[in-house]
Amino acid sequence: MGGTGQIAKAVAQAGLIVLLGPLVTGFVQKLKARLQCRQGASVLQPYRDLSKLLRKGTVQSDSASPFFRAIPVLVLAATVTAAALLPVLWAPAQPATLPLGDAILLIALLALARFLLAIGALDAGGAFGGMGASREMTVGLLVEPALMLAVFSIAVSVGTTDVGMLAARRETLTLAWQAPDLLALFAMLILMLAETGRIPVDNPDTHLELTMLHEGMLLEHSGPGLACIVLATHTKQLVTLTLVAALFLPLGLARGTAPAEIALATAAFAGKVLVLATFLGLVESSYAKLRFFRVPQFLGLGLVCAFLALALRIL
Amino acid sequence: MSVELATRLIDVLGALLLFTMLLILAAGQLFRAIYAVAAQAVFLGIAGAVLAAATGNVDLWVIAGITILAKAMLLPWLLIRVVRRLQIAREIEPVIPSHVTFTIAAGIVVLAFHLNASLGSVRQAITGNALPVGLTLILIGVLVMASRRKALVQMVGLFASENGIFFTAMAISQGMPLIIEIGIVLDVVLGALVMGILVLRVRSSVDTDIADLESLKG
Amino acid sequence: MSAHLLWVTPLVPFAVGLVMLLVRSPRLLAALDVAGSLAVLGLTLAVARTVSRTGSVSALGIFRADEVAVVFLLLIGLLAMAVSVATVGWMRQEVAHGQIRADRLRYYYPLVQGFVATMLITVLADNLGILWIAMEGTTITSALLVGFHGDKNGLEAAWKYIIVTTIGISFGLFGTVLVYGAAAHAQGGVFRGAMNWSSIAAIAPRLDPGIIRIGFIFVMVGYGTKAGLAPLHMWLPDAHSQAPTPVSALLSGALIKCALFGIIRFHTIARGACGPEFSQGVLLIFGLVSVVVATPFIIVQHDLKRLLGYHSVEHVGIIALGLGFGGRLGTYGALLHAINHGVTKALAFLIGGDAMSRYNTRDMRLMKGFLGIAPIAGTLFLMGAFSLAGTPPFSIFISELMVIRAGIATGHFVAVAVFLAMVVVIFAGLIHHVGQMVFGTADSNADRGREAPTLLLATALLASVMVLLGVWIPPRVDRLLTAATEVIVG
Repeated sequence: MGGTGQIAKAVAQAGLIVLLGPLVTGFVQKLKARLQCRQGASVLQPYRDLSKLLRKGTVQSDSASPFFRAIPVLVLAATVTAAALLPVLWAPAQPATLPLGDAILLIALLALARFLLAIGALDAGGAFGGMGASREMTVGLLVEPALMLAVFSIAVSVGTTDVGMLAARRETLTLAWQAPDLLALFAMLILMLAETGRIPVDNPDTHLELTMLHEGMLLEHSGPGLACIVLATHTKQLVTLTLVAALFLPLGLARGTAPAEIALATAAFAGKVLVLATFLGLVESSYAKLRFFRVPQFLGLGLVCAFLALALRIL
Repeated sequence: MSVELATRLIDVLGALLLFTMLLILAAGQLFRAIYAVAAQAVFLGIAGAVLAAATGNVDLWVIAGITILAKAMLLPWLLIRVVRRLQIAREIEPVIPSHVTFTIAAGIVVLAFHLNASLGSVRQAITGNALPVGLTLILIGVLVMASRRKALVQMVGLFASENGIFFTAMAISQGMPLIIEIGIVLDVVLGALVMGILVLRVRSSVDTDIADLESLKG
Repeated sequence: MSAHLLWVTPLVPFAVGLVMLLVRSPRLLAALDVAGSLAVLGLTLAVARTVSRTGSVSALGIFRADEVAVVFLLLIGLLAMAVSVATVGWMRQEVAHGQIRADRLRYYYPLVQGFVATMLITVLADNLGILWIAMEGTTITSALLVGFHGDKNGLEAAWKYIIVTTIGISFGLFGTVLVYGAAAHAQGGVFRGAMNWSSIAAIAPRLDPGIIRIGFIFVMVGYGTKAGLAPLHMWLPDAHSQAPTPVSALLSGALIKCALFGIIRFHTIARGACGPEFSQGVLLIFGLVSVVVATPFIIVQHDLKRLLGYHSVEHVGIIALGLGFGGRLGTYGALLHAINHGVTKALAFLIGGDAMSRYNTRDMRLMKGFLGIAPIAGTLFLMGAFSLAGTPPFSIFISELMVIRAGIATGHFVAVAVFLAMVVVIFAGLIHHVGQMVFGTADSNADRGREAPTLLLATALLASVMVLLGVWIPPRVDRLLTAATEVIVG
C-alpha cells in the first residue's frame, strides 16, 4: 500500500483510539459501580470531565520552569503517536512501505510519556509530586523490560517486531497457541494492570496523596494542561488494551478498505476491548491495592513470566 | 484425538501448570497457595483426560478421575481444615527475598528446558513438554519448601512437587500402570494425613512455625 | 510353593499387626510381636534356602527374590527378631517409668509390624513402582514411630523426617518414572513388564544413556536421602535419636539398608545403560562426602543416640564408597558391610537405650562406670563400640578392609587416603566417648538393677553374629554374597 494510504490509516486509527479512550474508562467505572451495587456515573462522564477541564484556567507553581507548560502537550503527543502505530482496524498483509508500527518504538513512546510526566512532577517541586514520580518510575522500571520481553517472545515466533505484521501473521495461527504464548499472555495481563495504573498496582480513584502513584504526578497540573494529560492517560489505557488484543486476539482485522471489512474490524475491536476492559473492572473489584513494597513482588511475577515466555520460545 | 492435538494441549496445560507454580512461589497468603495447588491438580486431571483420549488407554481416565478427587479436592480440603484448626496467621513470610527466589525459579525453568532440548530421540517417549515442566515443578516445589517457614506452606510445596512427577508419569509412553498410579496417590494422601497429624500435635505443644523447631542441632 | 513364600513373607507381619490392633493386654501384645518376628525370620530363611537352591524366584509378576534381595531379607529378619525380643524387656521398663502409656501399646506394636512389612515388600519388589510405594510406606509408618513419645523434640524430629524423606523420595519417583520412560521407549511403546527391574535390567544396554543418567541422579538424591547419604542426611541424627530405642535400631540397622537396596537396583540398570563409570562416580562422591561430613559431628557429639546416628551416616557412606569403587571386591565388601553395620548398629542402639534409662540422661558426659553397674551389657557395648570403630576381630573391620582394598585396586588413592584419615579420627573420637562412658565409677543415682534378660538375649545373639562374621565367613554366606555380587556387577 502506498505511503499516503498508510499514513491516512495510521491517523484514522490514532484518532479512533483517542476518541474512544475516555469511553473505555467510563465503561470500567460503570462496571465497578454496578459490581458494588451502585448506579454509577454515566459512561460518557469522562468526556464531560475533559470538557470541564478545558474551560478552566491554569495555575502553575512558582518553582516550575517554563518547560512545565510544554509537558502536557508533549505527553499527549507521545501517547497519540504510540496510538498511531497500532493495528486497530487494519493489519497489513505485506511489509509496509513506511515502518510505522515498530513495537520497540511503541514501548519507547509510552516510556517517554511516563518519563515526561515524572520530570514535570519533579519540576513543580511539590513533595507529593516527587513521591508519585519516584514510585511511578519504580513501577516503570519493572514493567517496561517485562513488556519488551513479552512482545519479543511473540515477535521471535513471527520474525518481525512490527505490531501490524505480528497481528497479521498471528491471525493465521490463532489456534496454534503454545506454552510460551500462554506465559506471555499471563505476563501481559499482569503488566496491563500496571500500565493502566489500576488496582492492585495503583488506585485510579484515590484522592489520598500517600496512596497515589500516577495521580501524584498530576497534582501540579490544572486546566487544559490537566485535560491533555487525562486524555493521554485514557489513550494510554486503550493503547495497552489494543496491544494485548493485537498480540493475542488478532481476529477480524481488515486488509483493505471495503466497508464490510471495516465494519467487521470495528465490531471485532469493540468486542476485544470490551472483554479486556471487563477483565480490568473485575480485577479492580476483587482485589485490594498492594502495599507499595509488595508491588515489585507482583510485577516480578510478570517479569518472570515474560522472561520465561521468551526463554521457552528460544529453547 | 490426534497425537498432534494432544501434544498441543499438553503443552498448554504444561504452561498453565508452570504459571500456577509461579503463583505458589509468589503467594502472599496461605489460602492462595492452597487454591493454586488445587488448580494444578485440576489441570493435571484434564491432562490425564487428554492423554486418555489420545492414546485410548482406559486406565488414564481412571487416573484422571482419581487425581481430581484426591489431589484437587481431598488434599486441599485437608490442608484448609488444618489451617482452620490451627488458626494460624495467614501471611507467608519468606526466608529468602522474593527476587532471589524468582531468579532461581527462572533459572530452574531455563535449565529444565535446556536439558530437555539436549536429550535425543527418547524425547518422543514423553508427550509434549511434560518432562521439563515436571522437572521444573519438582525443583520449584523444593525451592518453595526451602524458602518458607510455615509448615503448611512446606506441605503445599511438597504437593506441588508431586504434581510435577505425576504430570511426567502420565505423559510417558501411554502412562504408567494403573496400580502404580493408584498406589502413588494413596501414598501421597496417607503422607499428607500423617503430616497433618504431626502438625496438629506439634501445635498442641508448640507453635507451628518451623523456625521454632530448631532445638535439635549439632 | 516357593513362589508363594514371596508374598506370604510381608503378609505375615501385616496380619499380625492388624490382629494386634484388637488386643489390649501388654503381655499378649509382646508375645504376638515376638511370634510375628520369629515367623518373619523363618520365612526369610526359607526364601534364602529356595533361592540358593533354584536361583531367583518370582511371584505375581511384582515380587522377585534374587541373591541380592536375600542378603537384605536376612538382615531385616534377623534384626526384626532381635528387636522384638529386646522390646519385651524394654517396653516393660518404659511403661514402668511412665515414658509410654500402656493403652498406647496397641498402636506401637502394629506400627512396628507394619514398618517391618513395608521393609520386606521393598526388598522383595521387582516392580520399581511397588518398590517406591513400599519405601514411602516405610516413611509413613516410621514417622509415626519416631514421634511416638509425643514430646517436642520427638515431634520436631518426626516432622523433619517425614518432610525431608518424602521430598527426597519424590525425587526417587521421578527417577523411576524416567527410567520407565526410557525402557518403554526402547521397547517402542508400553509393554507389560516395563516397570519390572528384571526386564529393564535385561534390556539395559539398549536404554538411552542421557535419560538414564538424569534418572540415576534423581534416584541417588531420592533414595540417598532415605539412606542418609550426605548432604541429604540432616534428618537422620534427629530421627534416629528421638525415636524409641528399638525403632532406632530398626531405622539404623534395616531401613537405611533398604534404601541402599533401591540404589543398588538402579545402579545395576545404570551400569548396563551408560557403563559403570558414571554411577560408580556418583556413588563415590556421595560416599566420600558422607564419611567426611559425619566425622566432625561424631567428635563433638554428646548425645549418645545422635552419636550413633551420625555413625550410621558414616557407615552408609562406606557402603556407597564400596559400590563406587566397584568391581567384585568393592561390591562384595559393600554388601558385607551392609549386614555387618546393621547388626552392630542395632546392638549399639539396644544397649545404648538401656544405658540411657539407667542414668536417666542422654548425655554421655554424665554417664560413667557402665561396666561396673551392668557388666554384661557394658562388655557388649564395648564390643559394639570397637566394632563400629572398625577394630578386629569384629565384622566391620573385615568389610572396611575389603572396601579399602577395592579402592586401592581400582586406583582411587586419594579417596582411600581421605577415607583412612577419617576412619582414624572417628576411631579416636568414638573410643574416647565410649571409654569415658564405660570405665570409671558410676555415681549413686544410677540404676544398678540387673539387665533385662530379653535384652541380653537379643544383644548376645547380635554380638555373636558380629564376632562370627569378623572371624570367619561361613561358606553359605560367602556363596550368597558372591552370587549377589555377580548379579550387581554382572
